Amino acid sequence: MTPFEEELKQALKREDPGADFTARVLAKCTQADERAEHSFWRVSWLMPAWRVGAVAAGLIVLAGGTAYEHHQHEVKGMAAKRQLLLAMRIAGTKLQEVQERVKESEQVEQ
Amino acid sequence: MGVLLAASTSIATSTTAGQAALPAFAAVVETHKAMVYSIAWQFLHDRVAADELAQDVFLQLHKNWARMQSPAHLLFWLRKVATHRAIDAARKRKAKAETSLEETDEPTVLERVHDSFLASYLKRMVSSLPEKQRSVIVLRYQEEMELDEIAKVLGMNVRTVKTQISRALELLRGKVSRRLGKESTQ
Repeated sequence: MTPFEEELKQALKREDPGADFTARVLAKCTQADERAEHSFWRVSWLMPAWRVGAVAAGLIVLAGGTAYEHHQHEVKGMAAKRQLLLAMRIAGTKLQEVQERVKESEQVEQ
Repeated sequence: MGVLLAASTSIATSTTAGQAALPAFAAVVETHKAMVYSIAWQFLHDRVAADELAQDVFLQLHKNWARMQSPAHLLFWLRKVATHRAIDAARKRKAKAETSLEETDEPTVLERVHDSFLASYLKRMVSSLPEKQRSVIVLRYQEEMELDEIAKVLGMNVRTVKTQISRALELLRGKVSRRLGKESTQ
């Protein structure tokens, strides 16, 4: 090391931040620990409520969806029933017409 | 430092940075406070800001206490975090006031007559060095670290560290010789 580097080393000697530095650091650390602990409990208390809310909302949506689907089923079923009755009525009328024609042609033959 | 290892083991098994380790942690703070504070001071040149930064470094150490593997690792970690945080803080302050080597004031009359004039002048010169050069000079001459250690802390290769040191020394010698005369730089 050259004399200049020695001078530099002397110039850059460490300085002490003061006697109370360690106490201040420890106080800060304790505060940080307390804050971390507090936020941990706050989160752990809030979490179930948040989860319950989410589950309840999910159930409501699911129940609503099922009810809607059921209603849609009923509507479709009723429409199908109406169509079937109409078809049967038409078929019945047609059958009656055929029977009448058959009767008429028998009478003509006799 | 056996206390540190025992304490760090006990912390590792607990969920939060345990209060049980506070005495060991306090001993570490007491041992290394001057080092961390001085690194911060060399970059910030503001006692309050350097004090704040040093406290934050130790707070970060407290949070990472369980990860410290050995006293050597702890020392390396402290130097690295202190240096990088100091560089970041100095960058943030850079916009406010940056003193270049050429702009640095002439020493005052009081400084001239003072015995530690050269030391205080050199300190000011170091603070006016570019960031990289300042980092290597502080770690080399304040912390008395080897070149490979500096390289690890700053994430450089050894050759770059060497180059930065010699450039910084050249700048400082030139500046000091112009101000004080050649005899002080030999």
